[in-house]
Amino acid sequence: MNQPAIRVLVVDDEAAIRRALRPPLVELGFHVTEASRGEEALQLLHAGSFDVVLLDINMPGIGGIETLRRIRAFAPRLPVLMVTVREGEEEKVEALEQGADDYVTKPFSIRELIARIRTAHRRVHAPARAEDAPIEIGEIRLTPTRRSVTKRGQIVHLTRKEFDILHCLMSRAGRVVTYAKLLTAVWGADCREEVEYLRTFVRQLRKKIEDDPSSPIYLLTDVYVGYRFADAQMLQEESLAAEVVSEREEETSERAAS
Amino acid sequence: MSGASIPIRTVFSARRVRGTGSKALLFTLECALGVLSVVLLGAFAHWLQWLLPIAVLLFLLIVVPTALLCGFWQAVIVSLSAVLVQSFFTAHQASFNPAADPANSITLLAFVFTALVVSRLSARVTEHAREAESWGGQMRDLYEFTRRTLQMNLHDEPGAQLAELVHEIFALEAVVVFDADLHQTYQAGFWDSDPKELAQNIYYFETSDDDAEAGIGRRVVRLGTVPIGSLVVRGDTSPLTNNAIASLIAITFDRYRAFANESRIETERRTEQLRATVLDSLAHAYKTPLTAIRAASTGLGEMGRLSPAQAELVSLIDEQTGLLSELTTRLLTTARLDAGEVTVHAVPVGVGSLIDEVVASLRDRLASMKVSIELPEDSLVLSCDRQLMTMLLSQYIDNACKYSIFGTTITVRAERAKSEVIFSVHSFGPVVPMADRERIFDRYYRSTNSSNRSAGTGIGLSVAKRVAVVHGGYVWVTSGEDEGTTFYAAIPAPIRKKESR
Repeated sequence: MNQPAIRVLVVDDEAAIRRALRPPLVELGFHVTEASRGEEALQLLHAGSFDVVLLDINMPGIGGIETLRRIRAFAPRLPVLMVTVREGEEEKVEALEQGADDYVTKPFSIRELIARIRTAHRRVHAPARAEDAPIEIGEIRLTPTRRSVTKRGQIVHLTRKEFDILHCLMSRAGRVVTYAKLLTAVWGADCREEVEYLRTFVRQLRKKIEDDPSSPIYLLTDVYVGYRFADAQMLQEESLAAEVVSEREEETSERAAS
Repeated sequence: MSGASIPIRTVFSARRVRGTGSKALLFTLECALGVLSVVLLGAFAHWLQWLLPIAVLLFLLIVVPTALLCGFWQAVIVSLSAVLVQSFFTAHQASFNPAADPANSITLLAFVFTALVVSRLSARVTEHAREAESWGGQMRDLYEFTRRTLQMNLHDEPGAQLAELVHEIFALEAVVVFDADLHQTYQAGFWDSDPKELAQNIYYFETSDDDAEAGIGRRVVRLGTVPIGSLVVRGDTSPLTNNAIASLIAITFDRYRAFANESRIETERRTEQLRATVLDSLAHAYKTPLTAIRAASTGLGEMGRLSPAQAELVSLIDEQTGLLSELTTRLLTTARLDAGEVTVHAVPVGVGSLIDEVVASLRDRLASMKVSIELPEDSLVLSCDRQLMTMLLSQYIDNACKYSIFGTTITVRAERAKSEVIFSVHSFGPVVPMADRERIFDRYYRSTNSSNRSAGTGIGLSVAKRVAVVHGGYVWVTSGEDEGTTFYAAIPAPIRKKESR
């Protein structure tokens, strides 16, 4: 990558986590600045400029959510990734509603973290895309003007609502869209609680666009939070991981055979 | 008790003997004083001659107060002396024979009659006053008893305390209280023979009575109409007081039961809560080091430049960190499930999407496994708590994942059977021995077959059982060498028309 280094502000009250994050991030070409509190992070953000903020939710002092709210007050487009624990579904949803770009769940792998940071950074720097420009991700192509979806060139027949859901998710590819946001976008604010209803539609949608609906690669679930349409990067990694798995399987079967 | 109005038993005490002696002295004193006043009045009347004809009336002024204040017999003696004095001064001779002078006899009779009437009236008033005072005393004692029972320490069995209190406050000779619930008798004071049987018989035969001869009161202690114990007292009390004591004992027994029950529930709840809190904070405390370890190990891997052996070790660290993380997450979920009363937030849940989501959330663990989902009725909807059912299915699938033979398929299935939806997770792995098929769902129980070959806490399946039970359903397992192992969960689902929107 010959782009300038991405400047990351890591905000976490745990020194051990900051210590573990710094070497690999620096090694992989990021500029890393650390803060141990939300208040400190805000000062640093006012003083210098950063490309991405990695923000822990559970911190003493003003905490992650309030820090996020204050960041959004002066930097509405600055990519912010929240760091949460698996049980904190409500926190995740709240952070997303407060304008966080995404989240990673403890304990996360560096690969996952870097992928999320790059996705968030890319999104901000991507050239503005026309609202009704066709979207192509993997083998799926969605044309808003004609309201058509094709997979490997074959037309996929979708109902009106299925198309709206897919459009909403694909136009935010790589990012999680909360149930409430998706429901509001497709059915209106009155229906924002009807998650079960949404699940039924997503299930139908998966049957139409996924090769294996029970292990989807495009339309992914963020349990208790929302849905996420994979972006090109994620698909690439997915196919890499799949290769590794199949390699391993082959190895094992070979071993078993011998 | 100072003034028992209805003495059940006369106790000849030393105090009473002393009382009798002083009474005789008082009697003599009163008589002497009366006679002296009569003589003085007679002499005075004789000196003032004009007063003599009405002296009889004046004597009455002495006889009446004597009858009123001292009593009948004192008044009679005073009357007799008045008649003597009168006849002495009128006839200048003392006649010892009242019959000799009819006028004297009539005067004497009038005096005695007056004394009788006045003293009777006076005695009745005094008696009433004494009775009222005695009732007041009993009320005071009962009040004191009520107050003390209300302040009683309910952490200990109430019987012993009650027996002591009754004995002390009502100044009884002996008391025995029988608590039928605890099957215990408590006694206070002195009993000639063991009163245990006596108290229990009263409870069993439900006989309440008072034996005035022996000075014993027997009461069945009832709560409403239900006998819950008995009471026997020996000493100065009244039947009404005995009734009141029995009622107060019944109330105290009842309060003790309520209190004991409440504190037991409270203790259990607190213990559970404490356990859950400890687990919760432990699990949270584990997350930070785990995150640091995982970031460090995956960071090493990402940075490259590792020899194959080093890479292998780093991936081992990563893998094990993942396991540890799973474990803490599971502990946390279990702790939450146990923390309080589990309430089922039942909503219509699409079974298909539920299974899809569970399988998707276990993707990392299932990466090297083949999972097949069988759903005969595609649009099956079940009213259940989504989060709880997710836990149940996760446990089943995770369990299958842990024990299944590599390369075999895990089958997740859900179908309607009459008024239930039956979920099943099938896999090929070690057979669950017949003896373990019930106990495998108990907390912390691990099959002897599995203990040394796979990671596990022995918590998972108990959670699955708990979830099924709170939904009104049940769990079971079948296992065989050829057929494989299948874990089932049946959740009630009343048949209704399909909802469509």
